[in-house]
Amino acid sequence: MRNILLVAKREYLEQIRGRAFKVSTIALPLLVAALLAFSHYMEHKAGAGKHIAIVADNAALANDVRQQMLDDKRAQYTVDVTAPASAAERDELQRQVRSKAIDGVLAIDSSNPEKIKATFTSLSVGDISGGLQNALNRGIINERMIAKGMGQTEADAMLAKVSIEAMQLDKNGKIEKSNGRAITIKATLMLFLLSLPIMLYGLDMARAIIEEKTSRIFEVMLAVAKPSDLLAGKLLGVGAVGVTQITIWVAGASVFMGTQLAAELLTGDIAIRFSLTEAICFPIYFMLGFALFSAVFSGLAATCETAQDLQKFMAVAIVPLYTAMGFLPVMINDPSSAWSIAATLFPFTSPYTMLSRMGMAVVPLWQIAISIALLILTIWAVLWFSARLYRVGILMYGKRATIPEIVRWLRYS
Amino acid sequence: MPVVELAEVTKAYESKVAVNNLSLSIEAGQIFGLLGPNGAGKTSSIRMMMGITMPDSGRIRLFDKPFVRRSLEQVGYLPEERGLYKKMKVLDQIVFFGCLHGLNAVEARRRAIDWAGRMEIADVLHKKTEELSKGMQQKIQFISTLLHSPGLIVMDEPFSGLDPVNAVLVEKTLLALKQEGKAIVFSTHRMEQVEKLCDSICLINNGEAVLSGNLREIKSRYERNRVIVEFEGDPAFLKSAEIAQADNFSGHAEIKLKPHGDAQKLLHEAAALATIYRFELIEPSLEEIFIETVKGKNHA
Repeated sequence: MRNILLVAKREYLEQIRGRAFKVSTIALPLLVAALLAFSHYMEHKAGAGKHIAIVADNAALANDVRQQMLDDKRAQYTVDVTAPASAAERDELQRQVRSKAIDGVLAIDSSNPEKIKATFTSLSVGDISGGLQNALNRGIINERMIAKGMGQTEADAMLAKVSIEAMQLDKNGKIEKSNGRAITIKATLMLFLLSLPIMLYGLDMARAIIEEKTSRIFEVMLAVAKPSDLLAGKLLGVGAVGVTQITIWVAGASVFMGTQLAAELLTGDIAIRFSLTEAICFPIYFMLGFALFSAVFSGLAATCETAQDLQKFMAVAIVPLYTAMGFLPVMINDPSSAWSIAATLFPFTSPYTMLSRMGMAVVPLWQIAISIALLILTIWAVLWFSARLYRVGILMYGKRATIPEIVRWLRYS
Repeated sequence: MPVVELAEVTKAYESKVAVNNLSLSIEAGQIFGLLGPNGAGKTSSIRMMMGITMPDSGRIRLFDKPFVRRSLEQVGYLPEERGLYKKMKVLDQIVFFGCLHGLNAVEARRRAIDWAGRMEIADVLHKKTEELSKGMQQKIQFISTLLHSPGLIVMDEPFSGLDPVNAVLVEKTLLALKQEGKAIVFSTHRMEQVEKLCDSICLINNGEAVLSGNLREIKSRYERNRVIVEFEGDPAFLKSAEIAQADNFSGHAEIKLKPHGDAQKLLHEAAALATIYRFELIEPSLEEIFIETVKGKNHA
């Protein structure tokens, strides 16, 4: 145990003093914040300020749609109406789209009032946003209501928007306001906050093993410590670095949350809260996820001669992460579905997905317990294999191990 | 009491037998040379002594007890494939290895500073290892091996990479450690160092011990059939019937006698033709014994 602690202490101090730790401690939260800000900006500002021309044979309908578009303050449309429009005027507008003088033409054909058709022409098909579709439908409904003899005031009352206020009930019967956007942001944030450090520290562990193998330090170490002690010490040391970094981030985030700036930024759609269960589970899943992927990488790294050799095993790191990312929309859509439960129980995705799912729904304690138990069992099994590869691999110099050789190492040790 | 003892040890890797039925014993206060051509099985034998690999058969005893990992705390090991943590400061590095060997940090630090002075590297203790030359790094490895004052010191090729000045410093240190009663085992290709330092040797070839024992005794087993002659005059005596081979370097001749060649007869022949300043009958060098033994075994 003394040797494990000595190896862990050395690993911890060396990494904490290193430039990489300092840079990543500052750079990663900035990166996540920049990504969130960018995504927020794109959602709110992208496509804003477009200049659209409406051509229609029915001027009243065209003006109704125009008004609906102008009511969308977020989109900040500039809307011209040409109604009725001649063929020459339509051709001229098409030319203006091609020359980028305007962004698009919305043509409304209401010759058959029961079957109104609309086409939108622009240089980019992505320009048909939900906002434009919504404005068109509301304009048509408004026009149809007026046509049926309803007054504008009544029509406005009929079209008045009602938004659903989502409430989440926890297992104790406590009701809390829930917000779809905040949940999506929180789920994505959790996935990033867990996956990035787990991946980075796992790969860091692999890199350190290859470096030590290249510098031929292992044989010196093996004369005083067992390979399993070296591996355990390294896992403990690098894991402690990860915990330190996350603690710094959490402390920084807590300080930030108490500021006026945070109060202004984290309101409305992006008000994010964390429960006590989430606060307890976060470090547990980080440590277990780190232990699992580091154990995998340690064994694999011991079979490599250079960092380039490790590239061929990158799929081992990337596939679980992409799988977890793939499950994110599934979980957001229905966090209690069988697929969502499976993603949070499967040991290679659960460290990434459980916290995201916990932010969307009340996850039963038995599922958390099974997920943690499965993770621990998998870590134990992976460590069993990795320790064997490690024991033989760290003293094999000069060439990259082939798969049959790796199988032989497992048999020997 | 032997400090380290290998009894009929065998180790094979797949189809290759690295060490075959090797037995050797090393006493305290003795320097033991493990010799052999490349791939002979020296490093494999050392790795088994250190518990890095396990023998397929045979027994290994350290400090007169069957091998247990705990005994390694009393062993200092400098492997052939040796490295250091490049980003670590020299002093931290030495202290770290000292602590791994059971010292507390304060004592390890005190000894590290003491050893740094002895090995003439006191001025680099606070530098990062990567900033140092290979020879300097080797001295750090040497100190790390000895910091915990081990009873058994095992060094695989300890002189490789050292310049002559530092090689002498290491030689003197090893002799001092021998005087302190430490048992020292080292492998090397440099025969002049073995002759200078070792009390006993074991020559391994193809995994088997082909020659072992006290160095003086081994050398005495070989006939004194080398002659050095320094002379002035007619060199015709170099064509004597007693001589198998002679190299004449302008008055300094190195002669190998025929089997059972008579040195006294040669001296008379030489004295009759030239003025003799030196006539010395010498034993074969260890290098010659090494080459002869290995060649003989390989041709057998």
